[in-house]
Amino acid sequence: MESLAHQDVINLLLKLATMLLLARIFAEVAQKLKQPAVVGEILAGIILGPTVLGMVGPEFFEFLFKSSPSANLALDGIVQMAVILLLFIAGLEVELHLVWSQGKSAVSISILGLVVPFIFGFLAPYYFPEFFGITEDKKLLFSLFMGTAMSITALPVVARILMDMNLFKTKMGMVIVAGAMVNDLIGWLIFSVILSFMGKAGNFSLVNTFGITLLFTVFMLTLGKGLLNKVLPWTNKKLAWPGGVLSLSMAFCFLAAAFTEWLGIHAIFGAFLFGVALGDSDHLSEKAKEIIHQFINNIFAPLFFVSIGLKINFFTNFDLGLVLIILVISFAGKIIGSGYGALRSGYSPKDALAVGFGMNARGAMEIILGLIALENGLIDEKLFVALVVMALVTSMSAAPLMKWALKKKPGEAD
Amino acid sequence: MYQKLALAIAFSPRMEALIAEARKLISIFEGELVLIHVGTKTPELEAQLAEVLSRHCGDLHRIKTIWKEGKPAKTILKTCAEEGVDLLVLGALKKEGLLTYYLGSVARKVIRKATCSVLTLIDPKITTTHFSKVVINGTELEITPRVIARGLKFCQAEQSSQVHILNEIKLYGFQMATAGEGTETEVANTRRKLVQDEIQYVQDILDKLDQTGLKINIKVTAGKWAVELVRYSESIEADLLIMGDEQGLSFIDRLFPHDLEGILEELPCNLLIVK
Repeated sequence: MESLAHQDVINLLLKLATMLLLARIFAEVAQKLKQPAVVGEILAGIILGPTVLGMVGPEFFEFLFKSSPSANLALDGIVQMAVILLLFIAGLEVELHLVWSQGKSAVSISILGLVVPFIFGFLAPYYFPEFFGITEDKKLLFSLFMGTAMSITALPVVARILMDMNLFKTKMGMVIVAGAMVNDLIGWLIFSVILSFMGKAGNFSLVNTFGITLLFTVFMLTLGKGLLNKVLPWTNKKLAWPGGVLSLSMAFCFLAAAFTEWLGIHAIFGAFLFGVALGDSDHLSEKAKEIIHQFINNIFAPLFFVSIGLKINFFTNFDLGLVLIILVISFAGKIIGSGYGALRSGYSPKDALAVGFGMNARGAMEIILGLIALENGLIDEKLFVALVVMALVTSMSAAPLMKWALKKKPGEAD
Repeated sequence: MYQKLALAIAFSPRMEALIAEARKLISIFEGELVLIHVGTKTPELEAQLAEVLSRHCGDLHRIKTIWKEGKPAKTILKTCAEEGVDLLVLGALKKEGLLTYYLGSVARKVIRKATCSVLTLIDPKITTTHFSKVVINGTELEITPRVIARGLKFCQAEQSSQVHILNEIKLYGFQMATAGEGTETEVANTRRKLVQDEIQYVQDILDKLDQTGLKINIKVTAGKWAVELVRYSESIEADLLIMGDEQGLSFIDRLFPHDLEGILEELPCNLLIVK
């Protein structure tokens, strides 16, 4: 096996330490300001990357992030793993049984909260391709991507807001959580289809890739889940706890990821589906879930979010017009869609608006989606920056906007 | 509490035990008994039933036997509605050679669609069963306050010695992971609050109810409530599990099995579904 040279090892370790340290500092600051940690972690990356450090201290930036190609490659491997693990826990969070128990209102809020922003996101580039700087041949795929990017909701950000506002357990809170779960699930399914259309270096023709993806999805959610239900009780009883369930779930997560990467759609899709199947199993204890979440959220997630800022110059790629348009489409689509869904389910206009604001938070998932599209050449750096800004703005504004919508006028009864 | 009790009979080897159990319940609730048989009425079957009834229900005046032909589930449901039955008793099936019980397709359909409460007995005995350890589903659902109220009344009538009310913290792992962004004290406080909230929910319902003669234990779990109910009932070897019904099951619910389905698939103990 190849190994890193002495100098490369030092460089890699310095990179990791700097990234984690700065991520932690900014996450703490963000939380003090009542903002999601992910906002701080992304800012940490922008500061460490070409945008700020590259300008202020170019020598230090060169030394840390440019001097060792091997260490950069190693870091890329770690970041890849981080994305896969992030999608794995995103899948773990999807609890289908909770969605069904919330009944029609959750389904209506999530479907409308998905379809309306999707249509908004799709139509804008489809009819104004010049504005987004895309060519005619890419128009359809690009529009589909924009539709998907607009319709995703970030469950962890939403959950945190709901818990802080003491709304998590209320009917409205549960409906928002369930709605976000459905959005995530359908959003990633659509994205996997887009990925297969992009014809990345896969092993199959388009139709076959599509068919196998569909089969794999159905398999994971039915037989795969059943299999897990049979294996997990044995794992819990006979193997070390939580060692057994942790290493085995990681191993199978990577296996599923390798399979979908081999198929030609992205590795993250396999990890996500395995997460859904595992999370829905009756035998994965809540304690094990908590442990998996903690170590991914606090070690791998910050590395990934910081790495975003390292890749791109947010200053030179900042296009105010584009950012504003993306913000308008994202806010309008989500708030109208989810809000109308809530209104239809019998919520008061104020509560419906609050549901819309809550579902508007995009957070991490948006950024992962954008990054993959960027890596596949579907979008350019300017649009990626606009999507990151949109993810940050929607995440940061969700809590204050919800509070504003739910604020009672003096004298109004509960 | 239950004024009109119906028992679906199929002339199986366990019919006599089921009749004995129904008779016991009648004497507790002082109600009347309706026997429903879906199938052809023959003199032999009539004689067989009369003989069993004379052994167990000889002193019972308010008793009625209904013979009807048709689709079992539909006929049972229709008869219950016509007769104004408020508790239907069914027998569960036993897996060949195993000590596990499940519900047949007819029973499942009846439970899903019945408008009255349904009691399923896994192992009816001629000497009758005493429901001494009872588990009640206290998870936050619309029907839960009613389930707890009816459950307590049933336990009082039955003179159950222990009543456990189970409530679960929804998405515990996820909530704790989300709370993990705070300091150690904040995390500990969140953990405590999550547990306390669930206890409080059950306590608030209990405060409005008469608990005379009952020893009630509120237990908080984490995870999916149906799975936790089954696990807990098995671990304490409960005699009866009382839960509500999930209303409005649609086509989608068939595709994605419901919490209730999981319990019907493998019954941990006798089951009372409160409607």
